[in-house]
Amino acid sequence: MNLHLALYGALRDADPTGYLELEVPEGCTIGELREHLVAFLKTHTSQVSESAVRGSALATTDTILHDHDSIPRNGELVILPPVSGG
Amino acid sequence: MEDLYAGIVDIRTARLDPAAALAFVSDARFGGIALFVGRVRNHNLGRIVTGITYDLFEPLVLKTFRAIDVRARAEVGEPLKLYVAHAKGDLGLEDLAVLVAAGTPHRDEAFRACRLAIEVLKHEAPIWKQEHYLDGDSGWSEGCSLCEAAPATERAPAGSHTNVGHVHGH
Repeated sequence: MNLHLALYGALRDADPTGYLELEVPEGCTIGELREHLVAFLKTHTSQVSESAVRGSALATTDTILHDHDSIPRNGELVILPPVSGG
Repeated sequence: MEDLYAGIVDIRTARLDPAAALAFVSDARFGGIALFVGRVRNHNLGRIVTGITYDLFEPLVLKTFRAIDVRARAEVGEPLKLYVAHAKGDLGLEDLAVLVAAGTPHRDEAFRACRLAIEVLKHEAPIWKQEHYLDGDSGWSEGCSLCEAAPATERAPAGSHTNVGHVHGH
């Protein structure tokens, strides 16, 4: 399935468009998606470290997803790097 | 009237307003009001800072602010009025970045609610800070991973261990 991943914070450096398009197998979990993302970014950009991706949460507009969760059917996700508000 | 104000202010069109925060949490029942104002300072980790850009994922920021309100009520009790607002965009030195105000019958609950709200905001709200330095360089601040902490919506209330007390520089 094709995913649309919106980028925020330091991960905006991964692509100037502010998002990534990524193809992953059907039935993929969030934890598996993170591994696909690490591999994809290694070839896509040198601006984002692997640790930054591993420390990032994946979310919908409504909730943060856990590693065992399924990818939402609409393929719309947000990558949230470590937060630093205030 | 709602007892929570949760807001995001785009610096291009408005400014955070401490007077509005104090007015919102003021109530004839309340003898205690605590206000926290966070603003842009001119240094961090030995570097001269000239400004900060704040990036927010707004849907979950507002959801986190509402979860903070639920948790504050569980911890300090009712009645409570809470005001939580954060700026977005390019801020200059001394600009206001965040406002938290709590109104309660007595000072102890007001201080506790205000402290809880700003600590959870800093650790769990999806907000990112990019500092700009005098030498022209910029950098995103180190932060707290949302993978490691149960969000405020899932956390047990009073008495349980939390990660909001740990020390860090952001």
